[in-house]
Amino acid sequence: MGNADLRDIAAIESIAFEELAGSVVAVDAHNWLYRYLTTTVKWTNDTVYTTAEGDEVANLVGVIQGLPKFFEHEVTPVMVFDGAVTDLKDDEVQRRREQRERYEDDLEDAREEGDAVRVARLESRTQRLTDVILETTRDLLELLDVPVIDAPAEGEGQAAHMARQGDVDYVGTEDYDALLFGAPRTLRQLTSKGDPELMDFQATLTEHDLSWEQLVDVALLCGTDFNEGVRGYGPKTAVKAVKEHGDLWGVSEAEDVYVENADRIRELFLDPAVTDDYSFETSIEPDLDAARSFVTEEWEVDPDEVERGFERIESSVVQTGLDDWA
Amino acid sequence: MFNAIVSADTLRTALDSVSVLVEECKLRLEEDGLEIRAVDPANVGMVDLSLSAAAFESYETDGGVIGVNLSRLEDIAGMAEADQLIHLELDEETRKLEIAIDGLEYTLALIDPDSIRQEPDLPDLDLAAEIILEGRDVNRAVKASDMVSDHIALGVDEAEDMFYVDAEGDTDDVHFELGREDLIDLTAGPARSLFSLDYLKDMNKAIPSDAEVRMELGEEFPVKMHFDIAEGQGTVTYMLAPRVQSD
Repeated sequence: MGNADLRDIAAIESIAFEELAGSVVAVDAHNWLYRYLTTTVKWTNDTVYTTAEGDEVANLVGVIQGLPKFFEHEVTPVMVFDGAVTDLKDDEVQRRREQRERYEDDLEDAREEGDAVRVARLESRTQRLTDVILETTRDLLELLDVPVIDAPAEGEGQAAHMARQGDVDYVGTEDYDALLFGAPRTLRQLTSKGDPELMDFQATLTEHDLSWEQLVDVALLCGTDFNEGVRGYGPKTAVKAVKEHGDLWGVSEAEDVYVENADRIRELFLDPAVTDDYSFETSIEPDLDAARSFVTEEWEVDPDEVERGFERIESSVVQTGLDDWA
Repeated sequence: MFNAIVSADTLRTALDSVSVLVEECKLRLEEDGLEIRAVDPANVGMVDLSLSAAAFESYETDGGVIGVNLSRLEDIAGMAEADQLIHLELDEETRKLEIAIDGLEYTLALIDPDSIRQEPDLPDLDLAAEIILEGRDVNRAVKASDMVSDHIALGVDEAEDMFYVDAEGDTDDVHFELGREDLIDLTAGPARSLFSLDYLKDMNKAIPSDAEVRMELGEEFPVKMHFDIAEGQGTVTYMLAPRVQSD
């Protein structure tokens, strides 16, 4: 999920949702979905979100809760899905799998002890994006006429590429790695109440007088999804070291540190696998009846859980000006 | 010519009600008092203020319009104790406002009024419902709604003879009802409109909790809120454009 250390050096400011009206955001779909999955199931009963066959479909509730926010502010989301897992990320995937197994063991214990709060917390951590979750999310987005793009690899890399091409205005993700992919303007906290944060790529580079390559080298020292960081290198130390020695190799030589696969990881950020073969329409016309029946009949979600979201989508509103009334 | 003396409290209250919407504004110096009308840069919220000559300790002018930077003027007014008097005098030659608070003198550079955003005409609206309520109830409604959402529906339920407020967030809801007995007065009529809380929050800041607020509301129409300041010697009207369904 990216290294939160990057926050310390990222140029971030709050931006009012109103200012985003009319813009297009390439959303890192896995990241977005994950946020809703963890919050949706966290404090509530998971039986609501599980079909008779045992498929977890809390994602459908997440989608219906999450989309109104875009529509109500006249923002067009373009959902970018991850493609193949980058092999370098195996470690991270493996690590997360192990962690999840640990949580699952804990969850067993908590259930046996009857600790409901702990059960709820752990359940949220053991959430994963299953095939059913990914497929039903896509089907629902299609019914709602929300554009979906398939990335060849990392969704974030693809989203950043689309923003660099000027085909979208922003990348939407919680992940600070968007900076490393060179996303010019990234919106964070799109899933939270209140205004999002705007993370500015160029301002970040200017603030620290770094090149894009140097920024990636800083991240490599602090640690990324693809490598462990080097002990003793926080963001500030790393910035200083990279500026002093020019690049990662300079730092390696001068300060006797080693980052495994540095060449390849650098390339992943600077020149990620992306496609130009995409197109989308920004006028969205959801088929709400079809989406409702998909969610509540086909996937057996309690209608009460999603009705409000559907209503909000239906009545997505825009701010008028006083001159419209003169 | 403009020469006036006013209590710091009165001046501050008047300025605050305008500065929640705009940075700069035009002061219209009329013989019977001061008038300000301003609209925010997005053209969504408007304020119309008049402060009668009687609200001042002394007030003299032969008319004119001056442009001021509100936060600058507020800062200066903030230097005075609430009951201290502030002396304002326009220097015709330098086009600067001389402000004196006891021994403290401040010369404020004015802004060319023509460079300030043109105030809009007040649209003539047919608003069917009128609700008169206490400022503190407006405050409660706005505060509670802000906990869950960034917009708020204001409406009148004609059958139940009441005014209501709805806010729907991603997960939580707020609903607030005020029946006829909770209100100062109610003229029921078909009314329900949705508004941005960002704006209402700002306007609410300027509404005194003990003020009588007269709210005019319609069906997907702008809302108007009128209240008095300066012990009835001044009036403020806010108008806010609604959010409406996009298609």
